[in-house]
Amino acid sequence: MADFLRSRLDFLLRTQNDDGGWGYFPGKRSWLEPTAYAMLAIDGHADRAVLNRAWRLVESWQLPDGSWRPGADVEGPGTWVTALGVHLCCTRGQFDDRFTRGVRWLLGTQGREGNWLARLVSMFQPGDPDNDTSHHGWPWLRGTSSWVEPTAQAVVALHLASSHYAGVDARVRDAEELILTRKCHDGGWNYGSRRALGIDLPSYPETTALALLGLQTRKKDLGEEIRHARGLFELTHSRLARAWLSIALGNLGEETAPPDDEPGNDILLAALEAMAHPDGNRSAFRVPSAGSRA
Amino acid sequence: MGLVGVGAGAGILSVEASRSGDGVPESGPPGKSSVAVLKAASYEEDLVARILEGARLCGLDLRGKRVLLKPNLVEFDSATAINTDMAVVAAALQAFRALGAAEVRIGEGPGHRRDTLGLAEEARYLHGIHDFEGVFTDLNRDDVRPVEGFAGERFYFPQSALGADLIVSVAKMKTHHWAGATLSMKNLFGLVPGAVYGWPKNKLHYIGIPRAIAELNRTFRNTFALVDGIVGMEGNGPIQGQPKHAGVLVMGRDLAAVDSTCCRIMGIDPAKVEYLRLASALGHVRESAIEQRGESPHAVRTNFELISQFRNLRLA
Repeated sequence: MADFLRSRLDFLLRTQNDDGGWGYFPGKRSWLEPTAYAMLAIDGHADRAVLNRAWRLVESWQLPDGSWRPGADVEGPGTWVTALGVHLCCTRGQFDDRFTRGVRWLLGTQGREGNWLARLVSMFQPGDPDNDTSHHGWPWLRGTSSWVEPTAQAVVALHLASSHYAGVDARVRDAEELILTRKCHDGGWNYGSRRALGIDLPSYPETTALALLGLQTRKKDLGEEIRHARGLFELTHSRLARAWLSIALGNLGEETAPPDDEPGNDILLAALEAMAHPDGNRSAFRVPSAGSRA
Repeated sequence: MGLVGVGAGAGILSVEASRSGDGVPESGPPGKSSVAVLKAASYEEDLVARILEGARLCGLDLRGKRVLLKPNLVEFDSATAINTDMAVVAAALQAFRALGAAEVRIGEGPGHRRDTLGLAEEARYLHGIHDFEGVFTDLNRDDVRPVEGFAGERFYFPQSALGADLIVSVAKMKTHHWAGATLSMKNLFGLVPGAVYGWPKNKLHYIGIPRAIAELNRTFRNTFALVDGIVGMEGNGPIQGQPKHAGVLVMGRDLAAVDSTCCRIMGIDPAKVEYLRLASALGHVRESAIEQRGESPHAVRTNFELISQFRNLRLA
């Protein structure tokens, strides 16, 4: 195994908290996001007991309404990380009541797209992406607007869930359309706002990668977007962005140069870099083709 | 699209005060607030000496205190005036240590970008500030504790912010396309953890930007402001505006008074800035209640260009 990957996996195994989870940084309280990515990164590379201990913690964080809370110190309400909870259920093959309640919560959650004025403009200017409030994605937390990252994560989770939960397709398609309407003029995505006060906003490399994860079953619709993502990969100095881009482009059959940075103390980054490596668990965010749905 | 719905639910803090002719509530903290305005023509000047002088003029006592410096890191764009300049943060670190603080750390939780350390590297913090990684906390991903009653709800904030004896808002002097201006008070948006509220922290937009600014400043009262106005941003700030040289550092314990002073320097009438009106129970906005130390804000006034929505804010 490459030193790069080995160093990340060793770091992750070394930094697991006593409660089974991972913090964003060593010695910090456990959060669901780094725990989920660490579990996906070490899957197949670590003793099953390590993963089971982490899963027991994740299970304990599901709330009665089916959502997941984001971390040890946040009692609720549940947030976008519910998509990661469902994702882990699918990865572990646990299609039980916990899985069903998680999927149901995702399907019952959508962003608040626009105020009354924006919805009125959308009604009279259908098809204008700058004023389109007709599609629904997912918010970071309920009661707020949809954004690219939580929408992409929910789309991935529902694609994975679709073989064991019927009736997710329409919602997934609508969310994919939302991601497409949020595309920036340069061909990539930022957090989810393509234009402000009449000025085009630029895309970001990390959110472009996440958008491509959300759109991976629509590769035939993606051309300039993939080229733009490749360009961002060459330009960006952000390790987080390069890791996400490697994962997303890898899912689309596009290879990227393997990373060679020194390991740091960022657990989430280490997990993503491990998954981004050619010998790592690159399929963690890969979804099944449309033919294998329930 | 994206930020549609911004401002929805904007409300007001319960300010029990009569209003004067300029619309600013007359109540506020007792006495006057001191605000120091110090000239600094460039980032190459001795900024440590300027900050020490400002701290002295404001009577700042840091002995034995745990201090958190909160700069404004927004975007990967080292060529513009978007972020608090590294030289100001580095000088503040040195100056506050010299003033006897038990600990001085730096923390930031950017609103849009998740790679906070990458942002800090691009803004030259990583290599320009000695042992930066050793003193830095990503506030978006810090451990958190709940605070009750923030805009009527339970809200979570970083342990590093809640545990600090003093939070220094090391802000940038910028116009803002929704709030009019972004200065030391709005800079506290970076204390809201993305790990709970996301990127962007859209919950604050639904609370209403002016109200959220006021609520943050009501929640965090042990604060001090150091505004980098050496080169600020005018026009379509806080991201897409143009650099504007103002040549000043503005400092003080009363963040409302500091921001009001910055507004006057920028040619903005603070009485017309909604968040300052909402926060006027927390600090002084009226010029007569602010004791200006160092330079007079009128002597260093340089009008910042305002986008059309905010031309009515221009100071007479």
